[in-house]
Amino acid sequence: MRLRKTFEWKGMGLTTAIALLASANVFAAGPKLASEASNPLAIMLLIVIVALALVIALLGYVLLGAAEINLQRAKDKLYNASKVAQATLVITFCLFSSAVFAADGADAIATEVVSTTINLLSKFSYYTLLSVVGLEVLLILVMLWQVKALLAKEKLVVAIVAQEAKQPIWQKWWEKMNSFKPAHVVGDTGHNYDGIRELDNKLPPWWLYGFYACIVFAVVYMYRFEVVHSAPSTRQEYVIAMEQAEVEKEEYLKHAANKVDENSVTLLTEASALGEGKKLFGTACAPCHGPDGQGVVGPNLTDDFWLHKGGVKDIFKSIKYGVPEKGMKSWKDDFSPVQIAQIASYIKSISGTKPANAKEPQGDLFKEDASTATVDSTKPDNKLAAN
Amino acid sequence: MLDLSAPTGIEVRVRTPERTQIEVERFFYDNNIVKLFVYATLFWGVIGMLAGLLASIQLFYPLANFDFAPTTFGRVRPVHTNAVIFAFVGNGIFMGVYYSLQRLCKARMFSDKLSKIHFWGWQAIIVAGAITLLLGYTSGKEYAELEWPIDIAITVVWVLFGINMLGTIIKRRESHLYVAIWFYIATWVTVAMLHIVNSFEIPVTMFKSYSWYAGVQDALVQWWYGHNAVAFFLTTPYLGLMYYFLPKAANRPVFSYRLSIIHFWALIFIYIWAGPHHLLYTALPDWAQSLGVVFSIMLIAPSWGGMLNGLFTLRGAWDKVREDPILKFLVVAVTCYGMATFEGPMLSLKNVNAVAHYTDWIVAHVHVGALGWNGFLTFGVIYWIIPKIFKTKLYSTKLANTHFWIGTIGIVLYAVPLYWAGFTQSMMWKTFTEEGQLKFQFLETVTNILPMYMTRSLGGALYLSGVFVMVYNIVKTVKGGSLVPNEAAEAPALPKQIETHGKQHWHRWIERRPVQMLVFSLIAVGIGGVLEIVPTFLIKSNIPTITSVKPYTPLELHGRDIYVREGCYTCHSQMIRPFRDEVARYGEYSKAGEFIYDHPFQWGSKRTGPDLARIGGKYPDSWHYNHMMDPRSMSPGSIMPNYPWLMDDKVDTTITGAKIRAMQTLGVPYPDGYDKQANTDLLQQANKIKASLKKDKLEASNTSEIIALIAYMQRVGTDIKAEPKQAVAALK
Repeated sequence: MRLRKTFEWKGMGLTTAIALLASANVFAAGPKLASEASNPLAIMLLIVIVALALVIALLGYVLLGAAEINLQRAKDKLYNASKVAQATLVITFCLFSSAVFAADGADAIATEVVSTTINLLSKFSYYTLLSVVGLEVLLILVMLWQVKALLAKEKLVVAIVAQEAKQPIWQKWWEKMNSFKPAHVVGDTGHNYDGIRELDNKLPPWWLYGFYACIVFAVVYMYRFEVVHSAPSTRQEYVIAMEQAEVEKEEYLKHAANKVDENSVTLLTEASALGEGKKLFGTACAPCHGPDGQGVVGPNLTDDFWLHKGGVKDIFKSIKYGVPEKGMKSWKDDFSPVQIAQIASYIKSISGTKPANAKEPQGDLFKEDASTATVDSTKPDNKLAAN
Repeated sequence: MLDLSAPTGIEVRVRTPERTQIEVERFFYDNNIVKLFVYATLFWGVIGMLAGLLASIQLFYPLANFDFAPTTFGRVRPVHTNAVIFAFVGNGIFMGVYYSLQRLCKARMFSDKLSKIHFWGWQAIIVAGAITLLLGYTSGKEYAELEWPIDIAITVVWVLFGINMLGTIIKRRESHLYVAIWFYIATWVTVAMLHIVNSFEIPVTMFKSYSWYAGVQDALVQWWYGHNAVAFFLTTPYLGLMYYFLPKAANRPVFSYRLSIIHFWALIFIYIWAGPHHLLYTALPDWAQSLGVVFSIMLIAPSWGGMLNGLFTLRGAWDKVREDPILKFLVVAVTCYGMATFEGPMLSLKNVNAVAHYTDWIVAHVHVGALGWNGFLTFGVIYWIIPKIFKTKLYSTKLANTHFWIGTIGIVLYAVPLYWAGFTQSMMWKTFTEEGQLKFQFLETVTNILPMYMTRSLGGALYLSGVFVMVYNIVKTVKGGSLVPNEAAEAPALPKQIETHGKQHWHRWIERRPVQMLVFSLIAVGIGGVLEIVPTFLIKSNIPTITSVKPYTPLELHGRDIYVREGCYTCHSQMIRPFRDEVARYGEYSKAGEFIYDHPFQWGSKRTGPDLARIGGKYPDSWHYNHMMDPRSMSPGSIMPNYPWLMDDKVDTTITGAKIRAMQTLGVPYPDGYDKQANTDLLQQANKIKASLKKDKLEASNTSEIIALIAYMQRVGTDIKAEPKQAVAALK
């Protein structure tokens, strides 16, 4: 008995010590790792290692406690030699786990020592850190399995105890939460309305404190939003959101090959681009210009007459900014520059198709001149063909 | 002590021996009026739900609008909401109150004649309301659409009901008022206040009026009303019913008297403040929005107090719940109440509201309350009352159980798809591409959720079929029994001086004084209303003026009335919130000063279609023309109804002058004598639009309604564009 106790204390002490050691280690290692400490991956892995180590320490504690109870029961009630043997085995397991854990702590130390010699997070330190994590996870699984095995034994006993106590724990907890009292303790107000009586139960505490909490929330909220204005007003929120969006957009456009505008746009001829353009045309343009571009409310887009010129750059501009006074809306918030270029190119591609029910020509006859014939200048093939 | 089977009436006499010496009086409960209200509840329930089912089908199958004005969504939806709120739940309230009040007061209703007038008056109002709404007579304010003559009729009938109720309470034989009656009294006085204040309007013709308030003020008053219609028409009276019928059906004492007191006063005091949570991120001043938020949060506990007192009353009776369909209905009702009153405050948090507002999430939320809390409680009460007053047993408990399960599945199938639809659509609205463009066209977000709309209709149809099962069950029960029109009862008369014995709870004082109860309730609900509304009217800085905002032209005014008449606000908001996506999609966010001539405001509460606050000038006249005739010709896949009659029907120019004069009375600055000149201006503007349509080969008479509507559409939200840029920026 005495011996076992010593074991237990030793085990527990070991666990705690190692847990402390492990965490101390990380802190101690921190400054030394100046270069690698800034590596987010390393930081993350180290945090995971520490967290898992804490879980292991906790589980070790639980295991030892559970094993002790189990042993006590085995000794006092069952006098069963085999059980004791089993329990001893469990303790051995725990100690073994602790031993593994100790090794694990050593591992961590090793890793950090090694890593000080390397400038970047090398493959070596990365895999070492990773394997520490893996080891810890494995250890936790083993310990969980042990806890489960121990608890399974516990259940039998708990079942008997529960029968004696009659009420399950959750029910006791529930009654306490609501401060329910047994029927003979609760006062009856003596009120009787058409046979309806009223009891004099207390207010459920969680309800009452919840109410108080809501009131505190309300006071703090009003103070922040309307007195000291430390929280943004609806209009300020808008400004913040717009600034944020602008930053994100700039950031994206810096890297994206999407910076097409009415000055740099060129006619696209690839089938995929025209197909995309046709699709967008069908949803956004067809309502006013007809599914074939024949013109309905908006002008015919297949003839050679244009109200705002018919070069690809001009069409791009008309789509992008719109002609609001004539009912053509601006589409720059709906479509990306590339998409607008696709639509404009598609519109150019249906020129001269002479669809049915075409609207009468509007605007001036438009001919590609040198300055607008961007097609020719950028596409040598076309130029050759034209020549 | 807790022997529940003991006839408790005797207990009282034993405790107060003095009372036994008082002569016991014999009297009769009026069951006939209860029966009438039960029948009316069932009838209007079916009608209201049918209207709802039709409206829900129209949302994915536009042909179901039948190209006929009275059956288009914009008119059917108000019929649905008004019918289920004021006809179904309204009659449900009266049914429960007339049954329980008599028994809680140990007295027959004050006057049989008043009961009759109340009943038939209320039904006449409903019929008149349904007809006028279908004909397009509407004030354009949600849940208060009925026009001024009906508003007056409602006030009269409501006052008669109040006299009848208070009369009964005053001539009661029970010394104190039970908690159910506190709720009835608070309901009566608050609904009266809300209805009268919100219905201030100036009549133009027999069936047309303009709201007394404009823009932001109108919105605040309207949602103070709208929110508290939920509170004091759908909640407090039904809590009263719960307090009577739940302990009765379960045969258990009420859990906690103290909880009743606290949650009652806290509920009515706090509820009234929470209205502005319907207007978060709108042009309503921020301080009012913040008040709406915090009072909504504080409302959780008082609301849950009611739920807890209901559910805890069932402690020790849960075995009964498994067997008794009535208790099942009541339990689900109370649970749905708890869910809805927790969700409500969560929806009032600004970040949640930013996602949920204008979407089907809100529709799902209110239907959990309506179908679960109001519907199921009503059903439970009817199943309980009918066998009692017909002195028989329910025809089939099995059918009642079937009804319960069909209804429950119906609620789930209704709510879940709509929660999903609302959340999905909102996320789609807010999605930008990396280039900074809106990712989805509005229409894409609509067509994406159509399958959810279909499932919702299925859920609604299931729920309604459950009601049919119930109607059959009730008809059979009624046939199997015979009505006891006057149910005998006896009780000692109330002594002139109510004696008290020993130390009593302080609240007992007011429970003996119905008039004080009424006055204190009015004070409790009055405080929030006054403190929120009055500053918005008196302090000018709440609504900064914009000099470029001018009154509508006569033609636009007519067009706006058509917009209101067709119920466009049921699907289109006119309020752009200060969000990146809304500004990108619709234009500059809305400012308080833009709405000062809007009698009534048309901010809307749901975006089934896109916001229209900046629709002016966005599309050509001919686009609007084609779009109103057949929306799908301009926006393929649109679910908007056709409005072909706008082409044939003519604007009534004989009332243009009256409209202008009414607006002048309300403070809209038309020049003196402008009413005489209005029609000249009207024709001039109409001819311009006519000419512009002609250019696109479209023919329309210059007095046709479509031209007036186009004039209005092209005006909406454009005034601010005339304002210098810096001035707009300063309008924070």
